[in-house]
Amino acid sequence: MITVSNARKNYGDFVALDDVGLEIPSGSLTALLGPSGSGKSTLLRAIAGLEGLDSGVVSIGGVDVTREPPQKRGIGFVFQHYAAFKHMTVRDNVAFGLTIRKRPKAEVRRKVDELLEIVGLDGFQHRYPAQLSGGQRQRMALARALAVDPQVLLLDEPFGALDAKVRADLRHWLRRLHDEVHVTTVLVTHDQEEALDVADRIAVLNKGRIEQVGDPVSLYERPANEFVMSFLGSVARLGGQLVRPHDIVLDRDRVAALAVDARVAGSPGVVGAVVERVVRLGFEVRVELRADSGERFAAQVTRAEADRLHFEPGETVFARAVRPADATDAEPALAI
Amino acid sequence: MTTTRGSRLTLRVIALAYVLGLLALPILVILYRTFEPGLDTFMDSIRTPAAIAALNLSLTIVAIVVPLNVVFGVVTAIALVRWRVPGRGLIQAVVDLPFAVSPIVVGVSLIMLWGASGWFGGLEGSTGVKVIFGLPGMVLATLFVTLPFVVREVEPVLHEIGTEQEQAASTLGASGWQTFWRITIPAIRWGLTYGVVLTVARALGEFGAVIMVSSGFPGVSQTLTLLVHSRYIDDHNTYGAYAAATVLMGLAVATLLLMTLLDRKRSTR
Repeated sequence: MITVSNARKNYGDFVALDDVGLEIPSGSLTALLGPSGSGKSTLLRAIAGLEGLDSGVVSIGGVDVTREPPQKRGIGFVFQHYAAFKHMTVRDNVAFGLTIRKRPKAEVRRKVDELLEIVGLDGFQHRYPAQLSGGQRQRMALARALAVDPQVLLLDEPFGALDAKVRADLRHWLRRLHDEVHVTTVLVTHDQEEALDVADRIAVLNKGRIEQVGDPVSLYERPANEFVMSFLGSVARLGGQLVRPHDIVLDRDRVAALAVDARVAGSPGVVGAVVERVVRLGFEVRVELRADSGERFAAQVTRAEADRLHFEPGETVFARAVRPADATDAEPALAI
Repeated sequence: MTTTRGSRLTLRVIALAYVLGLLALPILVILYRTFEPGLDTFMDSIRTPAAIAALNLSLTIVAIVVPLNVVFGVVTAIALVRWRVPGRGLIQAVVDLPFAVSPIVVGVSLIMLWGASGWFGGLEGSTGVKVIFGLPGMVLATLFVTLPFVVREVEPVLHEIGTEQEQAASTLGASGWQTFWRITIPAIRWGLTYGVVLTVARALGEFGAVIMVSSGFPGVSQTLTLLVHSRYIDDHNTYGAYAAATVLMGLAVATLLLMTLLDRKRSTR
């Protein structure tokens, strides 16, 4: 368990952390999610001891480590740009923490080989980081961080420098690794999809404060405020309310639009709109519209629905939100 | 930019002629003159007591100056890049001073500081240590002129490697000292090597600053470079000057080769 309480950090006039409190349960995979400048990296580096706090307390496993250097916190840290030791082979990189601890050579060798197998780099022992791809370097960095059996694993935008395909592969791989190793993991990311995909808990940060903490589903379904809602997935403004684009139904006929999914409460009524553009994104189709009030918004429908209705730009349709985001029934932001 | 075949060829010839004429030709002339009378003559000329003493003195100065500059240079470079030292701009300017100041001026100022009537002139009377016209003076002069090399070669490398590798080492349990030896030093070793080579070359070849603070007695206080000068100017021993100059060049080339080999050995370990 990692506990941060009343954490404050200023860089000159810039407030990086503004009285942040957070509890990270043992064995969880928690994502710190927020836009750049939200304080998420500062918070992670404060947990690691790479950054000092102006005030506040950090404890890991019940021990106050606020004044301890990174060496004594029992952490593993993975950097966005890998921080590979360029002059060492893959084996020496992974062995570094164990060599520092003066473990017997045979034990180091066995452990390094075991870890390299786990991260899928078996056979790369004698390569240098420059001979690896970005994804391989980051897996090496993960093995290096895990070699010292850390209490907590801290990852700072670990997939940020990789291209989209490798990124998705690696995060699924990280999730499986976490399910096997069960080390308490904190991941910093600005990518909501990554957070929703990999984490079992998400803390959303904005301007140095924690907006909301919860599991991915409750954050998506019951965002505490407009910021969390718009940061976790795309939103449209329809009839003065924030709605997920896939929660908008469209029809050519006003009555039909009203009838769709009438069971769901909270309907704001039907809005007339003109189709401006239809974009096919594989399975989904994004329909860009302008409401009679002049407001622009986008609705997301399935391809089958789009085929049935066959929208053309310039046509008038009727839109209705079937499940408007209702901030009132959401849990308030957890400020521990 | 597109160039015609002709103009490209002309440019190449000019560049090559420039390098050959200014750099290679003088060196080749010296080598030719040195070995023209045969190897025995050469060996005789560099085995005189004065020549051997000069070689020893030059190597002694190098042996004192290089370690001092390595330690000072690395610490200064780290301070300039990593620490928020007050007055960084001033330190930057001071480090470059030896590039700007003529070596003769360095020699004169050292005499004014350490000479018999200088600020610290009393030292000789009280301790018997002879700074000016002795080894300490020559070392001080050489230190001054070689000061920027290690700093200026290591600094950009430190900038380039950044602090992430060092931070990673600290999260893995390495102390500051362990991080310095295992991460920082190997990462800057190319810059350091080059800085050392430049320092050795300059220390061997320094003339202006050293001649001011040396008594210039053959066999006592002549460096190899001073020996070349005195053989040529004072003794009218042109051949002896060529031979000593060849030894100087050989030392510089040997340093370069040695450092390259050492580095290769370390990196393929």
